[in-house]
Amino acid sequence: MAAAIAVVVIAGIVVAVVRGGGSGEATAAGQPVRGGTLQFALIDYQRSPDPQWGTNYAESLIGNNITDKLTWQDPATGEITPWLAQSWEYNSDLTEFTFHLRRDVTFSDGSPFDAEVVKANFDQYVHGDPALGILPNGASLLRGYRETQVLDPYTVKISFAQPLASFLQASSFTANAQPGFLSLSTLKLSADQRTDPTKVIGTGPFVYESWEPQVKTVLARRAGYHWSPPALHHEGEAYLDKVVFNTIPEASVRTGSLVSGTVDATLDVGTTDEKPLADQGFQIIHRGVSGTAIYFAFNSSLFPTNDIAVRKAIQLGWDRQAIEKTILTPSYSIAKSILEPSVPGFADYSGSVLRYDPDQARRLLDQAGWVPGADGTRVKDGRKLTVKLLGISNLVVNKPAYESVQQDLREIGIDLQLTVVPIPDYTAQQAKAKTDWNITAANRSRNDPAALTLQFGPSAGNSTYLSADSTDVDVNEVAQVLGKLETTLDPATRNAYAKQAQDILLEKYALVNPVYNPSQVIAHAPYVHGIVFDAQSRNHFVDAWKNPGN
Amino acid sequence: MLRYLAGKAGRAVFVVWAAFTLTFILLYVLPANPVDLLFDPAEVNSVPPEVKAAVAESYGFTEPVLVQYLDRLGHAVHGDFGTSAQTGASVASSIAGVLPATLGLAVGALALALVIAFVIALVATATRQRWLRNLVESLPTASVSIPVFLSGILLLQIFAFRLGWFPAFGERGWQSLVLPLVTLAIPVSGPIAQLLVRSFATEFRSGYVTTSWAKGATRARIIVGDVFRNASLPALTIAAVTFGSLMVNAVIVETVFARKGLGRMTQTAINTLDLPLVQGIVVFVAAAFALINLVVDLVYPLLDPRLRATLAVAGGRGTR
Repeated sequence: MAAAIAVVVIAGIVVAVVRGGGSGEATAAGQPVRGGTLQFALIDYQRSPDPQWGTNYAESLIGNNITDKLTWQDPATGEITPWLAQSWEYNSDLTEFTFHLRRDVTFSDGSPFDAEVVKANFDQYVHGDPALGILPNGASLLRGYRETQVLDPYTVKISFAQPLASFLQASSFTANAQPGFLSLSTLKLSADQRTDPTKVIGTGPFVYESWEPQVKTVLARRAGYHWSPPALHHEGEAYLDKVVFNTIPEASVRTGSLVSGTVDATLDVGTTDEKPLADQGFQIIHRGVSGTAIYFAFNSSLFPTNDIAVRKAIQLGWDRQAIEKTILTPSYSIAKSILEPSVPGFADYSGSVLRYDPDQARRLLDQAGWVPGADGTRVKDGRKLTVKLLGISNLVVNKPAYESVQQDLREIGIDLQLTVVPIPDYTAQQAKAKTDWNITAANRSRNDPAALTLQFGPSAGNSTYLSADSTDVDVNEVAQVLGKLETTLDPATRNAYAKQAQDILLEKYALVNPVYNPSQVIAHAPYVHGIVFDAQSRNHFVDAWKNPGN
Repeated sequence: MLRYLAGKAGRAVFVVWAAFTLTFILLYVLPANPVDLLFDPAEVNSVPPEVKAAVAESYGFTEPVLVQYLDRLGHAVHGDFGTSAQTGASVASSIAGVLPATLGLAVGALALALVIAFVIALVATATRQRWLRNLVESLPTASVSIPVFLSGILLLQIFAFRLGWFPAFGERGWQSLVLPLVTLAIPVSGPIAQLLVRSFATEFRSGYVTTSWAKGATRARIIVGDVFRNASLPALTIAAVTFGSLMVNAVIVETVFARKGLGRMTQTAINTLDLPLVQGIVVFVAAAFALINLVVDLVYPLLDPRLRATLAVAGGRGTR
């Protein structure tokens, strides 16, 4: 006991001394400085150094810093701008895309970046290579991929079996299983051999120095790099000498390491840690995850969500303000559409179907013949208004937000039953979702309105299980309206199609109930600058720097 | 004696085979389509069906289940558990890659736990102060009941974040091992200490000790010379229990201290339903368990003459 008291006393003194002596005033952000190592913490680790393979956040994040893409999507406007491709054109069908490549780009092993290597990358990315143990990682991003033709050493034509307007955005895609370019020498390696990071060669601003699975990945500055996206206005090589991605699974250890100065920045900041860290002088930067909101996809072919009145009542029946006030931080936002606000074509439904109007919800249920039962849950033809939801527990906000919805819906006679489980259980249950679950809750990270086509199109993801059994829904109409998003790249027309797609999913058939917009939140020391969030809310460190002496 | 050996060895082999077969049934037959698990869960529904079919074909999932089972069993006998779905690396090399880290942690923690346990037992036996004995005897119970997660976080807060004596995460030489070792040793020392305290007390009252007293031996001489040696033998029997406790707590210790290891690999493999890796780990752990039990079974007759006599008389039909 005495020892414990002594330890606490000593600890107190040490903390006081450190605080008093070490709190140097932060230098104001000025001219970027070269050099230094950024110690970065995050929850996941890279399971494979191959950026085309990985499906977790660490993998896409690190992949973005060792590889480049054909194009760069402006995170603010959604516009597709040049990167490794200087210009491009496409046919009127949107089945053929021709890219003119930069001629001064090299891989870190000295080999040139040219049309041949683009073809080799896309072919393997879409088809995989069973002999090498490489999966068809890009098959869902580049749906209907036919081939890449080498027109000249620095011109490629990529063609598809059907119109794929979203391919232009896919050429800039930075999230999971991304099309970051690997050298020909890397593409020849098996999946197992690609776990040797020194053999995974990209054109990016950093190269692998080391990779310790479960522990950390160390990146070093690529000498001679001078082709970061023009839109970033960054000249030449990265500022930092090194970036160390430290995997720290436990939240209190991540924040403790930041506060004690062991790491300079940490991703995966918990909602309850944001304010305390900000109060201690750390800066909180964040960006909503572009793509869809966290949504409830209604199973349109299963009782009782096959009743449009039930779906509409669920959209109207919960208090969004309550969730914003009690569960979300300013880094997050409540959903105003199925699309996240940064996605081109986003429209705001907070004043119409996505408002809190319990009285209207009750009226809709009354009119549809749902009468209040003895225990408060409504009943129709002897069957209860019980709605079973399957959700994922990977984001800390999910469960409390769903519980808040559940409470409000109980007031209007809807019994929402929550099953919020880790990803493997969710994946296993998903196979039975058509017959067992009224609602699957999820989101998709893709900064393009065609994310709706992919996720809800009857012939693609079909998350609302549209079929001949779906009542009150014209399945062909949904297919046709969502399909139009892949047929044009004219901004005005595309926005109009995006609006029609949101109208049909939210208003006309009430197939989804968007809940909130998830966010990627970073806390960093005041001496860290220039961490970029891209259009998919992944980070790039080419422009990041630290004040000297830290 | 030979039959005793063969019986014990056969049982060990059976346990490993059963672990393989059970995981095959659980992982390959019961849940979702194994092909789905190879893709990002958010995108699995939008992967074109013909692509899924091609992948199923190349992974052999289209073969009859029995053929898949025999094929995998045949490879497993040679230590080949296929490749991890999440990394593309071979399962055997993945396990081999993290094993030294976990072994180092486990062996170190076990050694520290033994020291703690013997100190507790010696103090409890040697002291004449009743209050001190009561205090010391209550320590094992306390050590088992504190969650490892909590003690790990507490140690980190004090010795890493406040005092800065040790690194908070990762692997930076011996300093990184201190806090995880202490954290893991605490719960593991509990059962061993409890057993030792009890057997020390029993031995202390037995006939040969009285004889030593009569010969004028000191208290210290009796504890070290007689009691210590005789009371240590039963500790062997809880080796398997200790092993289980080490493995379970290693998951938490490795997570809290962000160390690489088998525990975290298991957790990740389960979280991502990485079927080949899960199976490899389960079989490996089962084999380790079986081996430890086998060694204990084989060593016991060597240490205990009474059991040896029973085996000789009964022609191998021992009671153990």
